[in-house]
Amino acid sequence: MRFLCWAVAAVALAGCATTATSGGSGSGPLKIGMSLPLTGSQADVAKSGYQGYKLWAAQVNAAGGLLGRQVQLDVLDDGFDPNQTGSDYTRLISQDKVNLLLGTFSSLLNAPASAIAARQHMVYVEPSGGSASLFTRGFTNLFFAQPGTTLSLPNLFVQWFASLPAAQRPTSAAYLTEDDPSASPAIAIFKTKLQALGVRKVYDQTYDPSTTNFDAIAAAVAQAQPQVIIDGAVSSDGAQFVRSLEKLNFSPKILFQTNSPADDTYPGAVGAQNTGGVFTTEAWSPTANIAGNAEFVEAYTKMFGAAPTEDAANSYTAGQVLAAAVKAVGRIDQTALADWLHTHTVNTIVGPLKWDATGDPVGNALLAQWQGGALRVVAPKSAATSGTIVYPKPGWSLP
Amino acid sequence: VIEFGEAILFGVLIGGVYALMATGLTLAFGVMKIVNMAQGAFLVVSTYLCYALWQHYGLDPIVAALIVMVPMGALGFLVYQLVIERLERINPGLTIVATFGLALVVEACLALLWGPDQKTTTPVYFNQAIHIGHFTVPRAQLYACLLAIVITVALQLAIKRTWLGHAITAASENPEGARLVGVEPRRIGAWIFAIATASTAFGGAALSFLYQFTPDTQDVWLGITLSVVILGGLGNVPAAFGAGVLLGVAESLTTTYVSVRWATAVPTLLILVVLTVRPQGLFSRMTRQDAGS
Repeated sequence: MRFLCWAVAAVALAGCATTATSGGSGSGPLKIGMSLPLTGSQADVAKSGYQGYKLWAAQVNAAGGLLGRQVQLDVLDDGFDPNQTGSDYTRLISQDKVNLLLGTFSSLLNAPASAIAARQHMVYVEPSGGSASLFTRGFTNLFFAQPGTTLSLPNLFVQWFASLPAAQRPTSAAYLTEDDPSASPAIAIFKTKLQALGVRKVYDQTYDPSTTNFDAIAAAVAQAQPQVIIDGAVSSDGAQFVRSLEKLNFSPKILFQTNSPADDTYPGAVGAQNTGGVFTTEAWSPTANIAGNAEFVEAYTKMFGAAPTEDAANSYTAGQVLAAAVKAVGRIDQTALADWLHTHTVNTIVGPLKWDATGDPVGNALLAQWQGGALRVVAPKSAATSGTIVYPKPGWSLP
Repeated sequence: VIEFGEAILFGVLIGGVYALMATGLTLAFGVMKIVNMAQGAFLVVSTYLCYALWQHYGLDPIVAALIVMVPMGALGFLVYQLVIERLERINPGLTIVATFGLALVVEACLALLWGPDQKTTTPVYFNQAIHIGHFTVPRAQLYACLLAIVITVALQLAIKRTWLGHAITAASENPEGARLVGVEPRRIGAWIFAIATASTAFGGAALSFLYQFTPDTQDVWLGITLSVVILGGLGNVPAAFGAGVLLGVAESLTTTYVSVRWATAVPTLLILVVLTVRPQGLFSRMTRQDAGS
């Protein structure tokens, strides 16, 4: 019996060792596993994200592959079910014996997937999943392939705000946010940083994700007469809130909204003429002045017949990060790959990426502003597509 | 004082919109005792039709509603004849399941036709406001509320002053007695259902310029309209208007003075309180339920 226990333990240890250096040598294709929500409520996001991965793999293979081996994507569908995501990544590692992993979309799915990757000591580069809670679990093999998480989202805006002459700087602000991990932590930081700059809080509310009627909220905000509105908007709620402000003809000097202004439907919903001056942040912009970005947009458009979305760019970036590490290390050694990524900067289409010990990128998302009917990058200067910032925001253009 | 006044004013305007959306459900639920789970879907169909007429022909959504009410009425008539009436003969409870299924089919059809993206109409008044002293009155909400008042008065007059209205009342209160005087409840049922569905044209028009909408918007509005109907008391159109206003004011005051987060819980809390204190609804009298049997 004791012999049997030792034998089982030995086999288990051997299995762990094999996982950590899986595929270190071999001549077949290099299998890269991922589970994506190809069906379900987030299928649209996953489709463009998957296409980003496909383009990256096609380009890598056209250039001779990685370590001289062709790249083969092993893709499973989780239907946007986090339990299924966990099962899928377990299967990819233990049954499909993939050599490398790439991440999925949303913090909801990346949380279980990255935990399984950590347990199996495999490097996990995620294209999405910027919730700060993902980077407090002590994982050393998780890497976020965007310029910043929700916690760094306010940085560039606050820097610009602080650079305004004191006499021109607004003195009151309203804070509104959806109760969502991708929005409310960022709004809390906005509040702290703007209050430190002497900006008085005149309104502060968090609304339920099911909220669709913003008329009463907008009325209360207008009653408080803030000069700045910081809105943690996740999707269409941002446009709906602006429509409610328009109905009241209340326009602040500065309007910052997370996520929503980057939606394709935003200009149509608020009126294209009313987008001018609205701030937001983006992980990536098709017009950002970053090496390789224009080539990515062109190649993607040629391959899929449509312009890339931010999700497509993010998955392409994740592929770039993984490829850079594999090329530099020269072998599939998960520990060596993680060590290399922790100590080097990777140039990508979203700019140079560098990570701290938790996999949180040491950088900032792009600060963008609607100008002349288009979303322009206004900071950092290295990626800017507009040299000016519209301030104060023009009032609503009423018919 | 200004803040309180504005909160009340907003509540009344929003409540008017709620009442407008709930009109059809009030008729079908109250008069025919049919819980039409497809009412929200019909509302969204009307919204998309108004949107289409606005987008392709530049028709103002309120004007478009006058056109949309015709095909919507026909749709209601057909649904009653083909589905509701047949199921009611077998088991009235089946109508809930059938209309729920119908709502899912309608939602899928809308998604196929218009896609899942948010839509909205932007007539000239959608973002204009009237300033009266310290108060700001959004024109879009004001028009929607006025529309609710017009529809409520028109339906009430139709029920009280026309032969069809008397027949509806007779058929709902005493089907056997109605038959004796030449009123066929089945035929009247089809008319009520047609009118209830046609009335969604006006709610749909208001929805199109007040809010963004998608095929699954029906889920939100079905919940709100059911709350209005339960609060007001079944079958009473003016009572539904009162309940809508009460709900709107309660939500507005909660948003202003308590917390935005609690606003979404207001309908449920109000229903709990009203069902405990006045189970027949706020504005209805208790009647014997066996009178017509």
